[in-house]
Amino acid sequence: MKRTATNLFFLALPLLLGVIVVAILIVLVVPPNTTLGDVLQAFWNGAFRNLRRFSGVLVFWIPLTLVGIGLVITFRAGLWNIGVEGQMTLGGLFAAGLAFMLGEGSPLVIIPLCIFGAMLGGALWASVAAFLKVRFGVSEIFSGVALNAIANQITLQLIAGPWKPGDSDKAQYSRPVPDAARLLGVSQDFNVSVVGLVVTIVAVVLVLLVLARTRWGLNLKAVGKNPRSALLLGVPTTITAFSALMVCGALAGIAGSQRILFTYGDVRGQFAGGIGFLGLLVVLLISARGVWVPLIAFLFAIMLNGGTQLQFLNLDSSLTGVLQGALVLAVLLANGLRDRLRKPKQAKG
Amino acid sequence: MNIELRQIHKRFGSVHANNDISVTFAAGRIVGILGENGAGKSTLMKILSGYQPADSGEILIGGQRVDYSGPQAAIAHGIGMLQQDPLDVGAFSVLENFTYGQPGGLTFNRRDAEWRLNQLCQRFGFDLPANTPVEMLSIAQRQQLEIVRLLALGVRVLILDEPTTGISADQKQQLFNVLRALAQEMQAIILLVSHKLEDVIALCDEVIVLRAGQLVGAQQMPATTSELVSLMFGGQLPPQARIQSHLGDVVLRLENAHLSDRRLAMRDVNFQVRAGEVVGLAGLDGSGQRPFMRACAGLDKLLSGRVMVKDEAMTGRPYRDFLAHKVVFGAAGRLEEGLIAGLTLTDHIALATTPGWAVDWAEAERYTNARIEQYHVRGRATDNIEQLSGGNQQRVLMALLPEDPVALVLEQPTRGLDVESARWIWQQLLARRDKGSAIIFSSAELEELVTYSDRILVFYAGQIYEVPDVTRTSVDELGHLIGGAFMQAT
Amino acid sequence: MTRKGLLFILLALLVGLVAVIPAAAQDEFVFGMILVGARNDQGWNQAHYEGGEYVIEKLAEAGVTARMIVFENLNPVVNPQATVQDVAASMADEGAQLIFTTSDEFEPATLEAAAQLPDVTFIHTSGSAALETTPADLFPDLFEATERVAPPANYGNLMGEMEHGKAIAGCAAALSTKTGSIGYLGPLINAETRRFVSAAYLGARYCYEKYAGGDPAALKFEVIWIGFWIPTPDTLDPQQVTNTFFDNGADVVISGIDPQDALIVAGQRREQGDDVFAIPYDYEGACDTAPDACLGIPYFHWGPKYLEIAQAVLGDGYVQDWEWTSPDWSDINNPDTTAVGWRNGPALSEGAATNLQAFIDEMIAYQTDPANEGSFFLWEGPLNYQDGTVLAAEGEKVDPLKVWFLPLLLEGIVGDSTLE
Repeated sequence: MKRTATNLFFLALPLLLGVIVVAILIVLVVPPNTTLGDVLQAFWNGAFRNLRRFSGVLVFWIPLTLVGIGLVITFRAGLWNIGVEGQMTLGGLFAAGLAFMLGEGSPLVIIPLCIFGAMLGGALWASVAAFLKVRFGVSEIFSGVALNAIANQITLQLIAGPWKPGDSDKAQYSRPVPDAARLLGVSQDFNVSVVGLVVTIVAVVLVLLVLARTRWGLNLKAVGKNPRSALLLGVPTTITAFSALMVCGALAGIAGSQRILFTYGDVRGQFAGGIGFLGLLVVLLISARGVWVPLIAFLFAIMLNGGTQLQFLNLDSSLTGVLQGALVLAVLLANGLRDRLRKPKQAKG
Repeated sequence: MNIELRQIHKRFGSVHANNDISVTFAAGRIVGILGENGAGKSTLMKILSGYQPADSGEILIGGQRVDYSGPQAAIAHGIGMLQQDPLDVGAFSVLENFTYGQPGGLTFNRRDAEWRLNQLCQRFGFDLPANTPVEMLSIAQRQQLEIVRLLALGVRVLILDEPTTGISADQKQQLFNVLRALAQEMQAIILLVSHKLEDVIALCDEVIVLRAGQLVGAQQMPATTSELVSLMFGGQLPPQARIQSHLGDVVLRLENAHLSDRRLAMRDVNFQVRAGEVVGLAGLDGSGQRPFMRACAGLDKLLSGRVMVKDEAMTGRPYRDFLAHKVVFGAAGRLEEGLIAGLTLTDHIALATTPGWAVDWAEAERYTNARIEQYHVRGRATDNIEQLSGGNQQRVLMALLPEDPVALVLEQPTRGLDVESARWIWQQLLARRDKGSAIIFSSAELEELVTYSDRILVFYAGQIYEVPDVTRTSVDELGHLIGGAFMQAT
Repeated sequence: MTRKGLLFILLALLVGLVAVIPAAAQDEFVFGMILVGARNDQGWNQAHYEGGEYVIEKLAEAGVTARMIVFENLNPVVNPQATVQDVAASMADEGAQLIFTTSDEFEPATLEAAAQLPDVTFIHTSGSAALETTPADLFPDLFEATERVAPPANYGNLMGEMEHGKAIAGCAAALSTKTGSIGYLGPLINAETRRFVSAAYLGARYCYEKYAGGDPAALKFEVIWIGFWIPTPDTLDPQQVTNTFFDNGADVVISGIDPQDALIVAGQRREQGDDVFAIPYDYEGACDTAPDACLGIPYFHWGPKYLEIAQAVLGDGYVQDWEWTSPDWSDINNPDTTAVGWRNGPALSEGAATNLQAFIDEMIAYQTDPANEGSFFLWEGPLNYQDGTVLAAEGEKVDPLKVWFLPLLLEGIVGDSTLE
């Protein structure tokens, strides 16, 4: 019990430090007629003013958590899956493609198919990186960057070509996804997809269970820490690395499908919105300890959605990005500090 | 200039690795640091060389108290340590490694550095071509490079951790001559951490002995091996009796195998080993033992030829299939290849024993505790493997082996272990052999090869020579063969 | 310090928060402005932003306190967490009664937001959902017929007749080019941008022949599309494209994108001694970015029309409309009346300025009375599409909605007409 409390404190410490740094930054940059109180109020309003705002937080939390929990898997296996953004994109494209193909019908059939297709798309894109890695030794970092760019180009080609809106040639978005494939919010106020929430929670629980309780989870850890030793201990290292990327890709794919089937309702350039990269940041902050993904993703979602409201105070919109960067740096700094504080303590006890 | 350590304490969790150690090293002396595995020798040396801070205690140099953090600072005070595995940077040249850590920052005078390197090499008779990449050097040469590097940095206290592992007898003699010269001419202090008592006897002026973190004795040399052993263990070890086991069928076979690694190619290798047979592989590092053993275990693919386990063709199959057939490989570097730093003992056991997809952690922990008991591992199931001492890590590796392997392929299974630990390892191995396991092992210790092998293969530059009658061979003869004597004979 | 100190700071922050909980909203008119790029981009977005400021100023003169809440950079790259619907709902929470959504791709989301927030008036610029005609009605061969869904009543469209400004820009370019080669830095390809490129080309061709004495067939006019209104990771780099134009012989680049990259590059090249110019777009003050390279600026004045709509919302209520507003032909630079205007840039030579004014006068003459002598109308035949098919026969005037939905570029322009 005491140990949990200490752990919690050590997790909270960096966040607290981050918040303080951010607060100081805000004081430094806000125009004279705006108070720090206004800024905090705006943050609060952006995330919690009413159910609708809070659903905005949840809607962003869903893909970020999915990506984050997927990245925990690849991090566990010692892989830097930079390509997660492209895997999200391909997932979204597969979902959209299936939706267009299937047209109207029962959502009970079409939505599961689309989500399954998204997993397939994400996993497929991840398997390209995995193949390049295990077959030719290409670092997943480099192939990831390239595959992300290619995924974006595929998106643009599809919007411009086969998926362009029928009644015009708008270049920015595809025609809308058929209604049967659309994920719907609970209500106009609580505009969150139950399917998205359930899928995300199930995914988190499943991944945590699998990592903790299965041979595959243990294999990932072994490969991540020392592939040569892992091989000697009977771990199929190649398959493990390959499957880690595929599973992460599948989860990122679901995240991408949420962006299409729920958030936008059509396909548009950059629809993944850098959530994959944000997910990398989340996982970095928690040193790949999966249980913390939902919480940290939640904090990020609050920060970004809260930041939306900062603009209404006539603050420069780049401030949110600066704050985010400052927070991440502060947390990383505090993490280092924490490790220093913690070590002698353990030795004494 | 004397070095004095006063009341050094160092704890790792519950382990008191150094407990109130006070000792003085006088200028110009060569001191052996003795003790069984986990006695605290390495910890003490790391504290002295700045790799680890002490929890409490003082270090005095020439009567002056010094405080330093980090090896660079220790070197600035004239104390340098030669690691068991030299920490050089493989892709860089000898000269670049030599200048590493030298003052002068980014602009180093290449010609000047080369001149100094050559001066030092000439003085000690080292052969270190300035522009050779370090990865092309032998272990002995890397050691020499590290010595001249530290000397050039002004080091006057040189700490060596197991310096004679992996080098030939000649190279060892050369090393010892250099060390003696350093002590006599420069009044340097040489501290030698070694398990090889013959080395200690040959080189040292005095020894200190650690046991369980405490300083338990000091002895002026000369002293006999048995005197030193009784200091270390508080008693003498009986000599090993040699028992021949019953030989069964051929369990592992290489047929016309064509092997290669980066340095050498081996053609038409034919080899077989029978159940209950121990085959020792002798030879200098890099003579071909490694590709040979890796081929036996399926870790490297053959360029041509076949591998058979019992009567099944295993050519081209992955290591996991060999493992499924109970052909097990054990690598020399424990934490590099074999164990996984960051994983607990239970994690390791679970990896080695979980057959299905689900891990039963309760069961794995029970099993781990049983193994800890059975193999006398000093550590807990929840400890990370890197928290254990080298000897205990080796015990864990033993515990990870299946009870009834078909063949064990082991690289230097007792490397860096003290006499008692090594003997214990062999008890475990021979127990398996008696149940019908074949054992293939390599070793740098000729004594070990002669003691335990039923057959000995000598490797030299990719050539393999089988010693005709192991019962009649001797360490001396084997030493000659390793040097390539059989090449002239054939 | 450490734990106690941290707790103290946190406490202080909380106290500060409680102390400044804002007073209840006063009696003020709040309207929202959603921008795709930055409010200070010296281009499209700034023009809208200043239109909003104009509304505040004019309402204040009438005794109404107005407040504008702005959300800039609403695009997936900068603000992945935000959608038009969410931002609009936030603005409504802040009390907004009127929201301007000012980028083409906001249209479907604006329609959804309007349906969700029936008490808020939504004005989408450059769209056509409030127009009853669809492209398929005009060009049945090119577009699928889809059933038109009537937009919610609280939704309307607004756009300025920028093709006149673009024609003047094209003319200014033709009067200034020495190499006879003009580049057009295009954003993405749609009817709006095709319309603008074509207008610029028609203006350039006309002036090149009539005032510069050149051979219109020899005038090179090329468009390169970067892919979006603003540079993103997916688009071509507009500065690189501009440089490519200059490197390949063009000496005037007309910008069609929101920010002023073309002008920035032209300014840099001038400093290096190249005799090149650019014509920016959207914002009256855009020439300030690099005056020495700026031939002039075709710009939007959103303020007057925005004010009209705001007054309607404050008064009897806004009535749905699709508006395509023309310049005030009596004074195209009158800040209180014109929707679209043109200002000469410092780099425009005196001779060119005289000819350009003559050209503008010809346009004014037509708009005052088409029967006037010496009048010029942009969309009069013979006009062919890029593929050679006929848009308008000799003397025929193109239906304005066909111009609005222009499906292909015109003959004589080098560059892609469509995405495929």
